[in-house]
Amino acid sequence: MKPAPFKYARPDSVDEALALLQAGGDEAKVLAGGQSFVPLLNLRMASVESIVDLNRLDDLAYIKRDNDTLRIGAMTRHRQIEVSDEIRAAQPLLCRAAAEVGHLAIRNRGTIGGSLVHADPAAEWPLVAAVLDAQCVLRSQDNSRTIAAREFFLAPLMTAIEPNEILCEVRFPVAPVGAVWGFQELCRRPGDFAIVAIACQLTLDDGGTCSTASLAVGGAHSTPLHVAEVEPIISGSQGEAAVMTAAAEKAAAAVDPSGDVHGSADYRRRMVKVLTQRALKEAWAQKRKRALQ
Amino acid sequence: MAETQFAESQTIRVRVNGQEYEREVPVRRLLADFIRHDLGLTATHLGCEHGVCGACTIIMDGESVRSCLLFAVQADGAELQTLEGLADGDDMHPLQQAFWDNHALQCGFCTSGFLMSAVDLLDKHPRPSEEEIRHGLSGNLCRCTGYANIIKAVQAVAEQSQS
Amino acid sequence: MSREGTGKMLGAQVRRVEDPRVLLGKTQYVDDLVLPDMLAVAFVRSPYAHAKITKIDVQAALTKPGVACVLTGKDILETIKPLRVEFDTQKVPFHKSCNWHVLTPDKVRFVGDLVAAVVATDRYTAEDAAELVEVDYEPFEAVADMESALLADAPLVHEEWGDNVMERLEAQIGEVGKAFQEADCVVSERFVTGRHMASPLETRGCVAQFDVATEALTVWSSTQVPHTLRASLATLLDLAEHRIRVISPDVGGGFGLKAHPFPEEVVVTYLARALRKPVKWIEDRREHLSASLQAKHQIVTAEMALKSDGSVLGLKARFLSDAGGYSSYPWSSAFEPKHAAGTITGPYKIPAFSFETCTVATNKASIGVYRGVGIPIAALTMERLLDMGAQKLDLDPAEIRLRNMIRKEEHPYTTLMGAEIESGSHQASLQQALDILGYDDFRAEQQKARQNGRYLGVGIGSYVEGTAHNSAVFDSFGVKIGGYESATLRIDESGKVTVFVGTHSHGQGHHTVYAQLIADTLGVALEDVAVVQGDTQATPRGWGTWASRSAVTGGGAVTSAAQKLRDKLLRIAARLTEVPADDLELVQGAVQRKTGAVRLLSIPELAHRIIAQPTSLPPDEEPGLDVTVAYEPPPITHSNATHVAALEVDIETGQVQLLRYIVVEDCGTIINPIIVNGQIQGGVAQGIGSALYEQAVYDDAGQFLTGTLMDYLIPTAADVPQVEIGHIETPSPYTLHGIKGMGEGGAIAPPAAIANAVADALSPFGVRVNEVPLTPERVLSMLDRAQTNPGTE
Repeated sequence: MKPAPFKYARPDSVDEALALLQAGGDEAKVLAGGQSFVPLLNLRMASVESIVDLNRLDDLAYIKRDNDTLRIGAMTRHRQIEVSDEIRAAQPLLCRAAAEVGHLAIRNRGTIGGSLVHADPAAEWPLVAAVLDAQCVLRSQDNSRTIAAREFFLAPLMTAIEPNEILCEVRFPVAPVGAVWGFQELCRRPGDFAIVAIACQLTLDDGGTCSTASLAVGGAHSTPLHVAEVEPIISGSQGEAAVMTAAAEKAAAAVDPSGDVHGSADYRRRMVKVLTQRALKEAWAQKRKRALQ
Repeated sequence: MAETQFAESQTIRVRVNGQEYEREVPVRRLLADFIRHDLGLTATHLGCEHGVCGACTIIMDGESVRSCLLFAVQADGAELQTLEGLADGDDMHPLQQAFWDNHALQCGFCTSGFLMSAVDLLDKHPRPSEEEIRHGLSGNLCRCTGYANIIKAVQAVAEQSQS
Repeated sequence: MSREGTGKMLGAQVRRVEDPRVLLGKTQYVDDLVLPDMLAVAFVRSPYAHAKITKIDVQAALTKPGVACVLTGKDILETIKPLRVEFDTQKVPFHKSCNWHVLTPDKVRFVGDLVAAVVATDRYTAEDAAELVEVDYEPFEAVADMESALLADAPLVHEEWGDNVMERLEAQIGEVGKAFQEADCVVSERFVTGRHMASPLETRGCVAQFDVATEALTVWSSTQVPHTLRASLATLLDLAEHRIRVISPDVGGGFGLKAHPFPEEVVVTYLARALRKPVKWIEDRREHLSASLQAKHQIVTAEMALKSDGSVLGLKARFLSDAGGYSSYPWSSAFEPKHAAGTITGPYKIPAFSFETCTVATNKASIGVYRGVGIPIAALTMERLLDMGAQKLDLDPAEIRLRNMIRKEEHPYTTLMGAEIESGSHQASLQQALDILGYDDFRAEQQKARQNGRYLGVGIGSYVEGTAHNSAVFDSFGVKIGGYESATLRIDESGKVTVFVGTHSHGQGHHTVYAQLIADTLGVALEDVAVVQGDTQATPRGWGTWASRSAVTGGGAVTSAAQKLRDKLLRIAARLTEVPADDLELVQGAVQRKTGAVRLLSIPELAHRIIAQPTSLPPDEEPGLDVTVAYEPPPITHSNATHVAALEVDIETGQVQLLRYIVVEDCGTIINPIIVNGQIQGGVAQGIGSALYEQAVYDDAGQFLTGTLMDYLIPTAADVPQVEIGHIETPSPYTLHGIKGMGEGGAIAPPAAIANAVADALSPFGVRVNEVPLTPERVLSMLDRAQTNPGTE
C-alpha cells in the first residue's frame, strides 16, 4: 500500500523544525528515522496532514558524556549507539539493547528519539529508558522541559509529548561502580518486537551483595513498566534463588498485559516471571564473570 | 537562508550507481517507487511495503536501508547504490559470483535485497561467523531457498577476502 | 561430483543457466513492466467477514482527479461470469458448487472480499480514491470456525446450500471393524493444522493490454499456469481464447498459490478491454495475506489399531476442512482433505482404512493448494499415531516404522487407495537418516541433558510424495485438467536448439534441467539450448508448474521431442553418409560414427541441409527440424523420504530450538543435485514455518488478525538450520530416465518430524502434541494440560 497524501518540510535547524511544527498545528507530525511511522503511513493505519522531517538535523545526532550523564541526541541512529565505544564504556546495557532493535537496515536508519516517541511498549528503548531512569529533554518553540522516562510513557503509542514539541535529547546515568545488568527478550524471531522483555541494573559490592536495583518490563503492560516493588526484595540480597523467585512474582503481579496473536495476556504475565529470574541471574553471572577476569 | 516551507512536491537530486538524476517528485512517493518507476531501476523489489521483508534493501550513503520506509524526497542529495550498480558491467561482484556458484537463489525476487544487505554486512563485519551472517541477514525474507546457500555464499566471499 | 565436460549432463552438478540475469538485475517481474498510458487498479475490499452490501456510492471516488473508472459487482453481473468449480457428479457425488463473483454484487463472505475496483493514473491515486468509495453494509453474524459451521443454527455462507457443507466423502477399504476388534492396542488423537499460506515474496499481480487494431488482449500475470489462466479468462469474459495471450514473465515464487486463476486477473483483463488502456494491478502484502488463498487448515480425528508387535491393523480418520468463503479453481477448496485421505497411508502397509472427509465453508479467505496439499497433515497424523503406538507398546519409533514400511522387494505396491507405488527405499531412507543423526548417541545425550533439566527430542517423519499425476488420475478426481505436458523442439540452421514448453519456472531452474536433458539427447552444449516458457503464444498448450510435475512431465516432453529430432538427424545422416543409423550418435555437436568415434558431419551442417536444402533430403523425409510432443506420464510417480528433527524445548517459555534437521530422500534419478538439494532446503524452511511459526489468524467474528509480516511469521535465516541431506536413487521404472518429482517433499514432513520431536522431548511429562504451529504459548499449554491430567497419553 501507498501512503495517503501529506505535505512535507525538511528543516535544517531545530528552531526551524519547531516553527514548522507550531505552524502545522495538531495535524503536523515529526518524522525521525521512520522505521515504525512510515509502515503505519504505508498501511494507511495512520495519516497526517503534514510531516516535519528531522533527518537533516545533525545537531540532534550526538553522543556526549558529561561526568555521570550520557547525553544522546534524539536523532542518533540505533546502529551508532550499538557500536559506540563511549557508550559501551559508560553504559553497556544501551549497546546491548541497540543490537536487539530490528535488523541491520532498520538500525542504520531508526533513531532512539523516534523509538521513544513512538512508545511501543514492547520496544527496547522505552524499556531501557524506564529501567535506567532516563530523562527526556523536550523543546517547543517557546519552552524547554525535562521529563523522566518513567513519566513520559502514557499508553501504547502515547506519550506526554505535546504536538508542538520535539524530543531533542535523552539523558542516561552512567553505570555506577559495581553495576551489572541483565537484558532478556522473548521474541518469535530475531528482530521482532518482544513478546516480553526484561531489563535490570543492579549495583553489587565486592562480595556480590546488591545495594541498588532497578528492573523494568516491556511487552507486558500498556507502557514499559518500572517495577519499583522488586527493589527492596533484591537490595541486600546476593541473588539467592528464593529472592529471584520472589522478585519475579512481584514483577508478574505488577503487570497488566493485553494479548495478541503472539501471546495471550496470561502467557505474557507468566513470561514476566520467567524472564525476570533469567535477567537477574544474568546480572549476577556478570559479576562472577568479572571476578574471574 | 530561505525559510523551509511545507510542500506537496519537490525537486530532488540523487546520485544512483554513480549517475546523477534530478527529478520532481510528490513528497509522498516512496524511495522504492522512485527508484523503480521514476528511474526505471527495477532490480529493487517491493515485497511488503511495511519494512519487514527486506526485498527493497538498497545502500544509501554507504549503509543498507529499506527503500520502502523512506520517501524519495528524503534521499535528496544522497548517494544510492542498487543491484544494478553492484557489478562492474557484466563482471559480477564477488557476492553475485558466490550466489551463482552456491545456488543461493531460486525465484530471484528477494535476491537483490539479500545482496545489498550482504554488502553492508560484510562492510561492517568483514569476518562474520555463521551466527553473525544468520542474524545479519535475518531482516531479509526468502521463501524459496531456506537460506542455507545464501549463508554459504556470504561465507565464501568473507573467506576469499581474508586469503 | 561434477560431470561437466564429460558430455553426460544427466546428474551433473551444473550451476543454473538462469542465474546471471537475475544476479545482474535484468529480470522482469510483472511490476517491472511499464506500458504507455498504463492505469493502476486498487480494489475496495470488505472490512466485514459477513455482510450484505446495501449501497455503494462511487461518486466521490469518480470525481477525484486522475480516476478513470470505478467498477462494482452490479456493473458486471451480466458481462463477467463468476468463477465456479463444478464436478461430474458421478465422480464427486457430494459436492456443492458456489459462484465466486469477481466483484461481489450482493454479499461479502470474508474480510478482503472484492467489492469494487478503482482505476486511476497510478496506484497512489487509486488507493486515495478507493478510500472514497462509500459502501453501506448490513453486517451478519459470521461463522469463523469450521466446527461451528456444522452446527444446525450456524450462519450460512451460501444460503442456497441449506447448510455449510461444501463436500462430504466416506469410504471404507478393508475390514476396519475387524482390525479394531483384533487390536492389542488402539491410539487416537485429534490433530489440528493452522491456516498456512504460500506467501511468496512476490505478491500476485497482472497487467492487461488491449490492442484496438487486432482486438487482442495480452495479459502478463504472475502465474504458474499461463494456459489455464488464458482458458479461464476466455470462458469468464466470453472471449475467443485465441484472442488472449497470457505471458507469465519472471515470477517471484508461487508454491501452488499462483496455480489458480484469480478474480482480480479477470477484472483487470476486463478493464483493459473496456477502457482501451493498459491496466496494472499489483497486490499489496496486506491484500495478499487477507485475500489471496490460504491453505492446509484441517482438524483430523484419527484412530489406529495395532498388534503388540507394532504392526498396524487398521486406521480410521475423519478429516474436517475449512474451505473459507469460496472455492478455488480448478481443484476446489475441498481438495485438501481428500488429498490427505488419499495419501495418509504413506510408505506403510495398512490393511484396512475407513475415512470421512468433510469440507465446510466459513467466513474466511478461501483455501487453495499449497506445497504438499493435504500430505503434511496426513503425515502429521500418521507419524504421530505411530509414535504414540510405539510408546504404548514400548517400541522404538524407528522400529515401529521399519516394521510397517513397504519393503523394497514389495514394489510395485498397490496401496489401499489404489495407487501403485512403483519403487522406493523407505527403510533405507529411514536408516540412513538415523545414521546421519547418530541416533544412539543422540539418545545418550538426551538422557544426560534431562538430568541437567534440559529437554532434547528427536522425531521422525517419513512419507511418500505422489507427483506428476497424469490425465487419468485427474479424471478420476473429477478435475477437468490434463496431466500431460507438451514441448516443441526446434533446431535452427546454426545447430542451436530452442525448446518451447508448457510448464513454467518460478525458481525451479527448468531452463537448466531441460537444457541438461536436451544436451545429453542431442549431443549439444548446455549453452546451445534456449528454453522458452510462460507465453501461451509461443508454447504449445501445457499445464504449467505445480504438484512437483515438471521434471517428470516437462522433462518427459522435452526429452521425447529431443529423441524424435535425434532419430531424424541420425536417419538422414545415415542416408547421407551411408553409415547405418545404429552405428551413429550425436556427440559434441556432431554426428559421430560409434565405431572408431569418427566425426562425420557437424549438427549445423546437417541442420542446414534439412532446413535450407530440402531437395538434398531423402524423398520420404519432411524438411525442417521442428517437432511437437505431448508426453503423458505414468499415473502417479512416487518419491519418498524420511525427515529427522532434533531439537530442544525450553519448558519455561515453550520455545523450540531446532538443533539439527536431516532429510534422506529418494526422487529416483537426479537430474541436477544442486537443484534437488535447493528444493529440499527451501521446502523444509516452509515446513518449519508450518510447524513452528506460521498461522493466519481470525477472531471469532471473522476479523483477520495477521495482516502484516509482523503477524504472519515467515522463518528467517536465523530460524532455519542447514538441512543435512542424504540421497538414495531408486529410479522409476516408468518415467524417462527414471526421474521422479520432488518439489513439494521438503515441506511435507517438518510438522510431523518436529511434532514428534517435541513430544519426545517432553515425554517425561506425557504431553499430547497434536497441533501446529507449535508456538511457545501452545507448547506451554500442552505442558500445563499434561501436568493437570498426568498419564493421559
